[in-house]
Amino acid sequence: MTAMCDVAFLLLTFFMLTAKAKPMEIVEVDTPSSISETKLPDVGTLTILVGADGKVYLDMAGSHTRRELIEQMNSQYPMNLTEKEMVQFANSGAFGVPRNRLKSWLDVEPSQRDKFVSPGIPTDTTDNQLAPWIHNARLAQFKMKQEGKVKEEYVIVVKADASTPYDAIEEVIHTLTDINVNKFNLITSMEVNPNKVGAMGGGEK
Amino acid sequence: MAEMQVKDSGGGKGKPKKMSTRVDLTPMVDLGFLLITFFMLTTTLSKPQIMALVMPDKDVKLEDLEPVKEGKVLTLLLGANDKVYWYEGITDAKLDSTDYSAEGLRKVILNKMDKVQSTYGQDTYNDIKTKEEKKGSFINVIIKPTKESRYKNLVDALDEMAITHVRYYVILDVSDLEREFMKHPEKGLNFSAEEQVDANTTK
Repeated sequence: MTAMCDVAFLLLTFFMLTAKAKPMEIVEVDTPSSISETKLPDVGTLTILVGADGKVYLDMAGSHTRRELIEQMNSQYPMNLTEKEMVQFANSGAFGVPRNRLKSWLDVEPSQRDKFVSPGIPTDTTDNQLAPWIHNARLAQFKMKQEGKVKEEYVIVVKADASTPYDAIEEVIHTLTDINVNKFNLITSMEVNPNKVGAMGGGEK
Repeated sequence: MAEMQVKDSGGGKGKPKKMSTRVDLTPMVDLGFLLITFFMLTTTLSKPQIMALVMPDKDVKLEDLEPVKEGKVLTLLLGANDKVYWYEGITDAKLDSTDYSAEGLRKVILNKMDKVQSTYGQDTYNDIKTKEEKKGSFINVIIKPTKESRYKNLVDALDEMAITHVRYYVILDVSDLEREFMKHPEKGLNFSAEEQVDANTTK
């Protein structure tokens, strides 16, 4: 009995430690279902979140890269971020504010952020702020890869709500293709493949 | 409950009875395994599925592209209220509408495949995964989501491509001509060569 108990708790500890706490989502996203069975690879991802209201949020993995990115962005665009705010950015998650409001967003305590109303990152053609963020994030990740701090370059992932109007998605897709990101992934939830259950004879040629 | 059974252990005086130090571990192990199950299931299920999408390069030159037979082209216009409008080819096209169910869009694609196969015969190709030579009829599907459609419609349409094994498909913007066509399908759709280029190039 004692041996079994030991094993059980060893496994328990293992799973508890490996289990990643589900990060707090900045916006509730109900992804559409597809038959795709490809799993999200275990590398750094750059996630573009699109809410049901069409607001665009951005999230990227790795605090080293985030730090590099915010330094780059701060020098390219006047945001007047302090050292403390840049550290804050490196350690926080998804954000959805235009550049001119990033400072005030970073000044809010992380626990109070859910009360901050995010207007989303502007993606329209007149003021597309998503493109420089993604472009610089990829550059930052590439630099970190060269320095050996990360292993892989970013995998670009679009996570949008099933009921998002296509306008918003179109703008995101155009933003990506404009900066020559032609390969990206859409996050979907599981659905049964009709070819596999044999419910429908589709697929033969 | 009023009376308690006292076990008479014989000699009440003498040495006090030695108490067992063993604890029943069964509930603890039960709980342990319950938690293991919980963590195992949550860790594996939390990984989301992805659907890879490759968009055409915007800088590609028109001269470098290979023309496609008009008869092999199926255009899907994803409209409002979960409806999908479709037409074949570009000359004298007839607009029809269907839904995203297995009986709807999938039938349209499979019918088109049969039609292409009977007209153009089969092509041979090498399977991407197994590298073995296969025969199949290729159709070219152009997916054009309108502004009124939802994101789910796009994913559903892409899903149908995967289910029916359409090898060539592309997502493009809806052209003004097609928007007119959707409003007045009876007028028909007739692309001139320039308009055709304009409608089917990514901006």
